[in-house]
Amino acid sequence: MSNNAIGLFLEATVRTATPLAYAALGELVVERSGVLNIGLEGIIIAGAFGALVGAGAGGATAGFVAAVCAGMIIASIFAFFVVTLKSDQIISGTAISMFGLGVTGVLYKILYGTTGAALHTPTVGPLVIPFLGDLPWVGGALFAQPVVTYALYPLVVAVWCFLNRSAAGLALRAVGERPEAARAAGISPSRVQWISILFGGAMGGLCGGTLVIAQAGTFAEGISAGRGVIAIAIVVLGRWTAVGVAGAALLFGAASALQYLAQAKGWPLPYQFSLALPYVLTLVALAGLRGRVAAPAALARSDAESI
Amino acid sequence: MKFTKNIVFINIAIVNLVACVAPKNEASTNFKVALLTPGPISDQSWNGGAYAGLMRIKDSLGAEVSHIQTKTPAEFEQNFRQYGANGYTLVFGHGFEFQDAASRVAPEFPKTIYITTGGTATGVNQAAMGFSFGQPSFLAGFVAGSVTKSGIVGCIGGTELPPVKASFAAFTAGVHTANPKATILVSYIGNWDDASAGKEQALAQIGQGADVIFQNADAAGLGVFQAAKQTHDVFIIGSNADQNNIAPSVTLGSVLIDLPRAFMLVAREVKSGTFKGRMIQLDTKTDVVRWVPNPSLPSAIPVNVTQRVDSIRATMLAEQFVMPPLS
Repeated sequence: MSNNAIGLFLEATVRTATPLAYAALGELVVERSGVLNIGLEGIIIAGAFGALVGAGAGGATAGFVAAVCAGMIIASIFAFFVVTLKSDQIISGTAISMFGLGVTGVLYKILYGTTGAALHTPTVGPLVIPFLGDLPWVGGALFAQPVVTYALYPLVVAVWCFLNRSAAGLALRAVGERPEAARAAGISPSRVQWISILFGGAMGGLCGGTLVIAQAGTFAEGISAGRGVIAIAIVVLGRWTAVGVAGAALLFGAASALQYLAQAKGWPLPYQFSLALPYVLTLVALAGLRGRVAAPAALARSDAESI
Repeated sequence: MKFTKNIVFINIAIVNLVACVAPKNEASTNFKVALLTPGPISDQSWNGGAYAGLMRIKDSLGAEVSHIQTKTPAEFEQNFRQYGANGYTLVFGHGFEFQDAASRVAPEFPKTIYITTGGTATGVNQAAMGFSFGQPSFLAGFVAGSVTKSGIVGCIGGTELPPVKASFAAFTAGVHTANPKATILVSYIGNWDDASAGKEQALAQIGQGADVIFQNADAAGLGVFQAAKQTHDVFIIGSNADQNNIAPSVTLGSVLIDLPRAFMLVAREVKSGTFKGRMIQLDTKTDVVRWVPNPSLPSAIPVNVTQRVDSIRATMLAEQFVMPPLS
């Protein structure tokens, strides 16, 4: 492969990883507080739809704001059921996924009619950082990206610092590991979980917003295309740490970029094999994980607080 | 036994209910037409064209119409049955994937006519429409092969459905007729919704030097147009519906199935009572399939290429066109 081909491959890697990293970082915080949000897919598609409406009304920035709001609205429905009402997390999450996919489809038809939004949505293009953007290989991948990608770099660090170096992060982890102990220490697990889920909603919304405003430039019913499920796998693959999640998102992005390249280069593989590649790689990486199981002890326990 | 009795009772109840409702419907209209699409009608492509066809039947023939977007194959049969039970005259299942469900349901509702766009299954009250999509695909390929500067031409599909694959093969034959040395890249997105992945597939092909891309991916295909808009000197050819307005500055033309025209052909037959269950093949001669150059980009295709295209099309109209062997 020439330098240029490697550069293009790395660019596609980062582009594909960006929305996944947002959704997975949000889900990471949610899971560390002991909640498994299977409804992430519904949050992402709501964010994508919010971005479409917001960007159409007030430009790209308004689109991102609307994406965050839409994600948080769906997330608050989920939080109400699983935290306030203590419903089963898996069932509630599945319902939220289907609700998000369904309601955006209906609203899209109502607001945009049969012609859809086509390509009229404002988009944000890559913002090339002087000098760094010209670096060989990684210049284009890391420093000639839309602004949402740059925002991720400090966000990964911030989530890591929050979880590992702050008192609030410690409280959050306590809720995810030993909710009864957290409660004894004067922490309200419900409050912590509510805030975590809202943060997860904002990040899932940004994932959808990135898809629409920074990538496709349009909305389609089902444009989230399973990214919610992938993001949950990325959290596991990243072993519930911020840096691990960023790495896992990049790995999935690289596998997808390789898939695009394999098809475009006409490598003699059945296309189904190429399409399966990112998923197969994720499975292999999961199987190869060794050492202690890092899942929060109270994950997905809807009775956690009442103990 | 009790269970069976209950079902019989429920059936009678439903029949009674329908009987009560039916006269009311007949007063307003007796021509009821329904459409099942496999995807959203906002795709400006395969599904959008079908919906436009349904609307044309409503406006021109005064039909009462209904549309359902199906999600899973299990729903195909259920929805077909529902329309049959509600006294619909004509039901379209939009795509070859509907044919098995149509074959199972059609005998149960002899007064309802079931049409699948694609497929080959037919019956007394069941027909399949076939589109000779290869002919306009060949013409599009000829244009692509003539216009490409790099000699590399791409095809991007949603999934590898037989009609998509056949269209790409005919397109490839067209490219090679104009430019025997041209390289063809073929990529599939894996679904019909992920516009972001559609864009990435297109960028990967553009990275390999492709400067004309033929896309057939419905809503996901919008991402292919977006990729060309952000790159210089790359042209897109659209599929299924007239997609020349999606991104007029980068679109060479569209390989069109005039679904409204096709739907009207059948609906008129049904309304006048001349319909017979059969395989309905629609080609260039019926004007249901055609190559439509983008009118807002007239300089993109040289005049001599347009003339060659017109002369090949004339052989198609005269039914003398012979497709080169497909790879």
